[in-house]
Amino acid sequence: MFLAKLCGFFSEATKGMSELYFLPAQKLESLLARMIEDNLIYIPVVEQERAHFKRFRPGESFEWALDRIRPVEPLKGFFMKFKEVVAKPGGSLEKKSSRSVILGPKACDLRAMEVYDKVFLAGEFVDPFYKERRENTILISVDCPQPEPTCFCNLVGIQPHPLKGFDLNLTPMNSGFLAETGSEKGAELVRHARILFQPPSPEQIKERDTQRAQAVKTVEATNPKALEDNLSRKVLDADMEFWERESTTCVECCACLHICPTCYCFLLYDQKDDGGSERVRVWDACYYAAYARVGGGANPRADFSRRFRNRFLCKYSYFPGYHGFFACSGCGRCISGCTAKIDIREVLWGL
Amino acid sequence: MGAMNPYQPVTAKITKIIDETPTIKTFILEPKPLGFEAGQFMELTVFGVGEAPFTPSSSPYDKEKMEFTIMKVGRVTKALFELKEGASIGVRGPYGRPYPLNKFKNREVLIVGGGVGFAPLRSLFLALLHDAREYKRICVRYGARTPHDHVYKRYIDEWNAHEKVDILRSSDMGDPSWKERVGVVTVLLDEIPVDVKESPAVVCGPPIMMKFTTQKLLEAGFPGSNIYLSMESNMSCGLGMCNHCRIGELYSCKDGPVLTWDQIKHVEEPFV
Repeated sequence: MFLAKLCGFFSEATKGMSELYFLPAQKLESLLARMIEDNLIYIPVVEQERAHFKRFRPGESFEWALDRIRPVEPLKGFFMKFKEVVAKPGGSLEKKSSRSVILGPKACDLRAMEVYDKVFLAGEFVDPFYKERRENTILISVDCPQPEPTCFCNLVGIQPHPLKGFDLNLTPMNSGFLAETGSEKGAELVRHARILFQPPSPEQIKERDTQRAQAVKTVEATNPKALEDNLSRKVLDADMEFWERESTTCVECCACLHICPTCYCFLLYDQKDDGGSERVRVWDACYYAAYARVGGGANPRADFSRRFRNRFLCKYSYFPGYHGFFACSGCGRCISGCTAKIDIREVLWGL
Repeated sequence: MGAMNPYQPVTAKITKIIDETPTIKTFILEPKPLGFEAGQFMELTVFGVGEAPFTPSSSPYDKEKMEFTIMKVGRVTKALFELKEGASIGVRGPYGRPYPLNKFKNREVLIVGGGVGFAPLRSLFLALLHDAREYKRICVRYGARTPHDHVYKRYIDEWNAHEKVDILRSSDMGDPSWKERVGVVTVLLDEIPVDVKESPAVVCGPPIMMKFTTQKLLEAGFPGSNIYLSMESNMSCGLGMCNHCRIGELYSCKDGPVLTWDQIKHVEEPFV
């Protein structure tokens, strides 16, 4: 009965929505090799004991980091470069784009892309560079089998395994991966490499479900205390004494904001180039003292405690007010990256 | 690049530059590079230097040209002031929400300006004047630091001659030539010339002027929803993306630049 259902599932393969396959472990590199002619391929590898995104080049040796937590680098840099020319005032800008495949984003990384999509695709204006890169990129996400102590996705409404936002998702298991398509792009990818994929067995599906439940348990054990239901209100209502106290140890290095996968602030500046001018867009961060300063020199957030508070207002009050979810993915990069060992969860729990 | 690039300005020509005061000039762009409605703003680029947001000061109905009255305060405005007639600049926009003129219909409109803050208000004033029969009355209360700091001196008599227009001006400090009121602009609001319950009051000026004017209007009985304030904030993209111009949960660029007192009264120190 169950198998019959699965067969029905496969006959619908051209529809593009959620279909399950099994990808044997040794076939993963074959899958990537098939795409390498037309795509830049990025994969998660272990370097200095942590996962990092790296270009995949067949023949080069590396250590897979598929069973680790999210890579050190946030996904945003693939779609919005740290610094890039976005216009040529007085001239015109020519830009070439390439196709990419990114293997390794986790559920938290995909949530961060939802934040970015809201800002750069869903408003009155669309960022054409972001849009083109999103369209030209295939995201192959991977379950997070072992959340670490810095992970807190369960507190912000998601879980260690992706439910949406991927083209293809892989669940690493004993002898390979359970692969789930999540978009037409993902379905097409499987169609083109159909020979590498097998029908999943009910045992494999059960193994995935058990593994996922275990990961959920792990992250819940790390973060047993839920955030307040009215967190958005609490952030707004907290007095300045609270923010002054919480921000005392911060050294204003802005690492938390630049490494944050949902922080999307940027600044435009112009500079001269050969005989003309170019407009550069660079990541910005609201902790910088000059961030909100106006032309005449006045600054509504001259005190650092106000800038510290602004980060929380933005993520947990303003953004959800417009879009219905936090601009925080629970990835914990800000915790790992903090020189002063500030744990964002402690601040939120303290509200 | 198939889609439109919102970061790319169009090129426009400065055909005339008028000295308004020692630190304020009006730049006239011809032909009119882009359309707009009163209250919306543009990002102007000095090539190779940078861009900054400005609200046009000319009538949105003017088909031939677009004007900007600008005070020299920062890096971009300093570079603008070094440009000569005939120079090209970049323009992108329009951005933000226009004044809700449909709500002003059949009302007395009170316009209160301070210093260079008269610039966007002139655009509104000219738009109102264009359809003067739609409005009961247009009252302008304008103040500047000294008689030399007044902009648009050349137009005042002509505007005041219109049957629906009533303009009063003040200077914080007078001089022997000054025959009008002396004192900060709020002295012109000791007597409110309009129905406070129904009329929109539109305010633009330096933060301190906005603060005291708002206070005075509230005391006079204007509802906060009828007080329209041009909010200054650091702005970069103008598109509702970069996050710089946030005023509380709102964006000055896409929700403003004109916000009502009711929209911003919960923000601590909105006038910085």
